[in-house]
Order: sequence, then structure tokens, then C-alpha cells
Amino acid sequence: MKESIYTSVCPGCSIGCGLYIREDDRGAVSIDFLKSSPVNRGKLCRFGMRLPHYYSTPATGKVEGLGSGTEDAVRAAASRLRGAEKVAMLSVGNTTCEEHIAFMKLAESLGTVVHTGIPVYAELPPECHPHLEGMPFTDIENAEKIVLFIDPYVQYPLLVRRLLAAKRNGAHITSAGTTELHLAHENRKLSPEQYAELDLDGNSVIITDIHPHTDPCHIRQLLNVVLDTGARLHVVKPFVNSEGVDRLAKGRAGTMGISQIMDGIEKGDIRTLVLLDSDPVELMPDTDRAVEVLKKLDNLIVISSRDSLVNAIADVVIATEHLYRKRGTLINAEGKLQENSGQGVDGIDAMSMLSRQLGADGFDHRQMHGYLHERMIDTLASENRKPEYCRMECGTVPAQQNGACTLEYVYNPFMWFSQPDDNDFVLLDRSMVKSLGLKKGGTVRLDSEKGSMNMRYRVEKVPEGTILTGRKLPIATGTVTKIRTEGC
Amino acid sequence: MVKVGDRLLGYATDPDVRSRGASGGLVTAVLAAALEKGLVEGVVVLKRMDEYEAIPVITDDVQEVLASGGSMHAVPVNLAKHAVGRKIAMPGKPCDVRGVIEQAKRNGVDLESTYIVGLNCGGTMHPVVTREMLVRMYEIDPEDVSGEEIEKGKLIFRTKDGEEKAIPIDDLEEAGYGRRENCRYCTVKIPTSADLACGNWGVIGELAGNATFCEVMNEKGKRLLDNAIEAGFVDVRPADEKAIAIREKVNSAMLSLGSEWKEKVFTEMPDQERLSYYMEQFADCIHCGACKEVCPVCTCGEDSKCTMFHSLADNYRMSMYHMVRLLHLSDSCIGCGQCSDVCPVDIPVTSIFRRFADPAQKKRNYEPGMDLTRPPFLEVMLK
Repeated sequence: MKESIYTSVCPGCSIGCGLYIREDDRGAVSIDFLKSSPVNRGKLCRFGMRLPHYYSTPATGKVEGLGSGTEDAVRAAASRLRGAEKVAMLSVGNTTCEEHIAFMKLAESLGTVVHTGIPVYAELPPECHPHLEGMPFTDIENAEKIVLFIDPYVQYPLLVRRLLAAKRNGAHITSAGTTELHLAHENRKLSPEQYAELDLDGNSVIITDIHPHTDPCHIRQLLNVVLDTGARLHVVKPFVNSEGVDRLAKGRAGTMGISQIMDGIEKGDIRTLVLLDSDPVELMPDTDRAVEVLKKLDNLIVISSRDSLVNAIADVVIATEHLYRKRGTLINAEGKLQENSGQGVDGIDAMSMLSRQLGADGFDHRQMHGYLHERMIDTLASENRKPEYCRMECGTVPAQQNGACTLEYVYNPFMWFSQPDDNDFVLLDRSMVKSLGLKKGGTVRLDSEKGSMNMRYRVEKVPEGTILTGRKLPIATGTVTKIRTEGC
Repeated sequence: MVKVGDRLLGYATDPDVRSRGASGGLVTAVLAAALEKGLVEGVVVLKRMDEYEAIPVITDDVQEVLASGGSMHAVPVNLAKHAVGRKIAMPGKPCDVRGVIEQAKRNGVDLESTYIVGLNCGGTMHPVVTREMLVRMYEIDPEDVSGEEIEKGKLIFRTKDGEEKAIPIDDLEEAGYGRRENCRYCTVKIPTSADLACGNWGVIGELAGNATFCEVMNEKGKRLLDNAIEAGFVDVRPADEKAIAIREKVNSAMLSLGSEWKEKVFTEMPDQERLSYYMEQFADCIHCGACKEVCPVCTCGEDSKCTMFHSLADNYRMSMYHMVRLLHLSDSCIGCGQCSDVCPVDIPVTSIFRRFADPAQKKRNYEPGMDLTRPPFLEVMLK
């Protein structure tokens, strides 16, 4: 009758909600509420509440389809990596800073860099990068005006209470995203040319997110608004340590977004892919297509704590312990350093072993932790920096064709991690429901070039011709898919 | 041998347990003895993470029980669900005990094999709010705090260098700090539905601070205390009239303060405003399910009515989840505050549920979680 308690952080996004993970003597996992966490006061969203499911499928080591211990898997990975060319490495931030640094060391010995999968950094001048961070959540609560380019209820739910607190403090909240938000004073679909109408100033906060499929053009537009008005940009990101890995990235030259990596594989520019707790099958909008592309690789090596979709097609899987058991630190969207109470170092030890087998030096957790502090300790607090970049050209967003429908992904933690949720429906506006003659409780038929499917629907105030989904659909070809609809 | 109804003063015989315990370590020693002598298979203890955080764990290690202890007003957890399906002993505030009793009415807990040592409670505080309060009201660094207690309406913090600072709870609450809202209007301060009702109210003179007032509430309580005395873990002596009177006086004062708060929080609401009130309160809900997960009286498990009739695809202006829960909990909500604590969008769930349940409970003169003699008015009692 012994229970072990781990103090950890929810892996669902970069908000960094503190929580306890309880393990009973049979290894069953449940969550408990870390009410003293200043980030979330122990509160958790739908994803956090379902973490026992997320943690129910640990990774198992594998070499060419057969179960394997760590040493054999490392040996097999080394043999594939020795002399390998056109190697790419990806870590989006689903693990600790220390493991990510170990992965960077491994990349050095292979003569390559670690990509974090977010294309925005590669496409924007380096002087913009410091503005693509978060800020203390209390600054949001004290803002006078807030403009939202995200749906906090679905995408980053623990921001909702901060926004409601801001509202109680007198802030005016505008939603400029796709869905109408209850907490907003006004919901406006704005074109970039209309941003000036928001009348922002130095006491305003713009909240958006950056993820592997964010259009760099959108971020350029917001950075221009920051330049023009003095408003602050609060950027949230989808992975628990996105902030940590972004701050650790040395230079952005040559780094790629996830789509560019997949293109590189298709073109044969990448022949070997090494992944650290990052699954392109989950990250890409079209699951089937991602699997097809990854199968073109000569070597697919996965270092992972979870049994995610990519493990099934990997040549080698090096299994590590779950995130909550890892020893190490994570950095949240506020720039707050958070420490796990776990003591596991399987991931670092395996990468150290791999490094030695590749003829480079080994390393340990202590060294990686030291490197983290040496490199980052001064940059943790997010400051209100003055923009030191120049106004950027943004290009134009293609206008929507009359009569055409688009199916759009609303990325959320369940979607990034292919976790089940009760969201087997799409969001439609009432005029579409009326014009298609859809019945209450019925379904709508969606056709794309990839196929057809019937989906339940919910009525929301979304732009005309837009259908939103919070889960990946097999008929989708990208984050935005052209479709036809029919009542059924 | 003690008797049911005895009112005693007692403490742990082990000097170390006695000095570490909040009031003489009696509760810790009674729980440890229950485990040591095989009365139970495990004990729920609060594993202290720091001065403001503890987490309940179940242990079968007597030493771990003895090493626990200490009053922590800034630890608002409910322990009732830890008793489900287990043969354990546990400490419990009145709301913990009431949760266990509601579970027992629905056969979630077997009261025959569950021993509850009740603790008087004037209210608990949220750890994050407490830290902020220490800085703003007490001008104390939260890391310097070595202990706290409530005495004569004041919340007292001790620092590591031996200093003490006391502020009246009324002043703290006026400034938005102090006890959680549900604790302020709570109507049960002495856990009389536990097997033993313990606390420091009524402990005066030389025993103040190092003994516990303990009332034996039933046969199980007698068994629990006799076991601890026979095992040599505790010493007890009868409480005198003065001690009994002081305990009752403190209880009355706390209850009357609670009634005042109740009037303040639950102001009259015209009928025509009720629907829009409930709809607006729940409008920001993100359907995480945390309020159900932590609810100590919920015994439904996965296949519950509130989730079965609810779908995220619905277009109801107020979700079926809340509508079903409001109704379902109207005969069992004990106002423990757990749902408000964990609500990710800060909906004051407890107050909403109490507002809904209170008239129905009042009309039937029914107070949930007090005993097994009266069945819930909406359900068949299984026990």
C-alpha cells in the first residue's frame, strides 16, 4: 500500500500547469492537484484531467520491429548513424531542457543541428525572436486592452482565468480569432489593414500562438502592430518546453519547420531522421501522408518516452521514462523555470551512450544542467523589450473564393498528441446549418479530394463558409482543406 | 477503557510525536496504533511537501504515520475518496467526514471498516492566497514561516526566528484573504459524525498546545481509542467542566460567524433572475470534469448521469452536465469547496451548488453527511 508522488508539469502546452502524479504500487497513474502552483493553483484543463490516459502507454524499446533493451537499441542506432549523411534531428520541446541539451550535443557530434519544428523562427530576422516569447501571466491580468488571436477555451484553457481576471480589472477584450468568445467584449473578424482600428498602446497585450504550422506572415503583421503601437505580444506555444527549446536554440540559420523537414525527406535531401519526443505523424495535419513520407527515410530513429504513432514505423526506438519521472527543468510561457521532482535520467544516459558509440564524449545530467544554467539563467525573466526590428513586408493573404468552404484545424493539446477526446463534431455557423437543412442531432457530409465523411456538428458563430474541427479528420489534406458540404 | 460519550484530554506518549504534533500528537498516535495493531490495513496521511502544501497518501508503514502530523490550515484537500474500497483509518475535517458518510449512504465506503478521527475545523486557506497574504498583510516572507495556528479569532504565524504575528481573521477576510469562501459559511465545525471528534478547543492551562480534546462519538471511536491506549501510544484523562464549556463556546462563536457569512453570500435572488444567473455563471466552463472528479460525495464513477446526458456537440445554452449535477447534488452537496478550488476558469462552483441545494435541504431539514439514519431525499439509500 505504497504510493509515490511526483511533482511535475502538464505536458499539454507551454502554460506549464503544475500537478502531482500519483503512482500506486502496481504502477497505476492518477493525477492530483498542486494547489500551491503559482502558475495554475492546481487547476487543470480537459487535457490535464486526462493525463492518466496520456501516461498509460510508455514507449518500448525496439530494433527493426523486435522488442529491445536500451543498450541494444542504442547500439543499433549508432550503427545506423555512423557515416549516415543528410541527417536531420527534431525536438519540439516535449521533454526537459537537460534532455534537449543532450540531444544538441548528439547533433554536434553528427555535424548537424536540432530543429524545433517551428518555421516562424527561420523566416523572421533574429532581432524579432526575443519578441516571440510569453510574459508573466499577471501582466495579462493588468493589461488595459487585450486582443486575442487564439481560442483560449480550446487551445490554452488555463489562460481563460487570467483573461477573466483582466476583465474584472477593467480590461477591454477583443477576439480577432475565428470563433466568437464569451469572455470577449467584442468579436471581430479583422483583416490586417484593420488592426489600426483596435487603437492599441503600451498598455495593450496581443495574445497569439506559434506552432509548427503558424503562417509567418501572420506573425510579421502582429510584430508590425507592436512596432506601430507599443503593444506587447504574448506568444504561447503548444509544447510543454517549447519556450525552453526555443531559448536554447543557438542560431536559427538552417533550421527548419516540420513541413520543411517533410519536404526535405520527399526530395531526398534528408535520409536519416532522429526524433526526441517529437512525432511528425502527430504533428502533420494529414496522418496518412506523413506516414508515407517517413517510410522513404533510410533511417528513422526515435528517442521517446511515449508509444506514439511514429514508433510503429521507426527502425529503432530508444525508450525513456515518462516526462513526470524525468529529472530536469522546463521553461513555461512566462519564462518561469519549473523543476520536476522525478530523478530519472534514462534519456540523457542513453544519448550519452550513443554519443560515445559515435566516437564523441559522453555526458551526464549534472553537466547538462550546468550548461543550462550557464547559458540561460540570465535570460529567464521575460522583459518588456523595446522593438529593435524594422517594419516587415507581409504579402497578402489569399482571399477566400465565393461559395467555397474550408475545413480548418483548431489546434489543441488533444490534436497535437493524437489523444482521444469527446470532440467528434465540427463547428458550423447557423446559416450553413439552415441552408443545408441539417437536423438537430444529425450529421453533415463533408467531401474533399481525399474522400467523404459524415460528422456531427455544433452551431457556433464562425465565419461564413468556415468549418472548424478540434480533431484531425481523414479527409483533411492540410491545416486548411477545401471541401464541399451536403445536408444528410 | 473509555466509554462512548467520554470527553477527554490526551496526547501521544512518545515525546517526539507529542512535540511534533499540532496538539500533543494524539491523532497521529491513534492512527499509528490502529495500523500497528491491525485494526486497519492502511492510514491516510498528509505528506507534507512544504509549509503550504501537503498531499494525501495511503501508507501501511507505522513510522510514516508517526512522522506525519502538524496542523496545516493552508492545505484544502478532501480525503473522503481515499476511503473508497479500502480498510483504512484517516484523519478528517468535518467536510472529509461528511464526504465519507455520503459515500457510505451509497455503498461507496464501508463504514464498518473505515475509522475516522475527526478534527475541529474553523476553515482552511488556499496556499497561493496564503503566500500572498503573508507578504501583503503580515509582511513576512512565506519561506520564513515555521508554523501557524488559529486562536481566539486570530490567525497566528510563527517565523523561524521565533517571532509571532497575529491578525484577526475578520480583518484578513475583509481584505480578501483568510479562509476559503465555503469555509466561511460552513455549518459544521466539530466533526460529530466522526468516530472521535478531536481538536484543541477547550485545551487550556499547562496542556495548551500539547494535548488534544477528544470526544468519543461511537463504538468505533471507543475501539480506536482503547486500542491506542492499550498499545501504549496515548495517554488520556477526563476533560473538566471548564474545558468542555470553552470548547462549546468556541464552537458557538464559529457557528454564529458562519451564519453571518451565509447571509452575506447567499443574498435573495428573484425567481426571474435565477435561470440567467446559473447560465451566466457556467458560461465560461471548459468541460474539464474536474469538479466531478474531486467531488467527495460523487459515487457515480465513469457511467454517471451528468456525463451520459452531456455532449460537447450539444447546443444547449447551459450544459446538461451542470443541469444534471445541480439536481443530483441537491441532496448531497456538503459545500466542501473542492470544486471551486480546481475549476480552471474560477467559477465559484461550490457557492452555485450550495445556492441551488440549500433551499431543498432546508425545506426537508436535511443536512447531508451527518449520519446514516436519514436517507438522501432523491435517492434510495443502499447502506
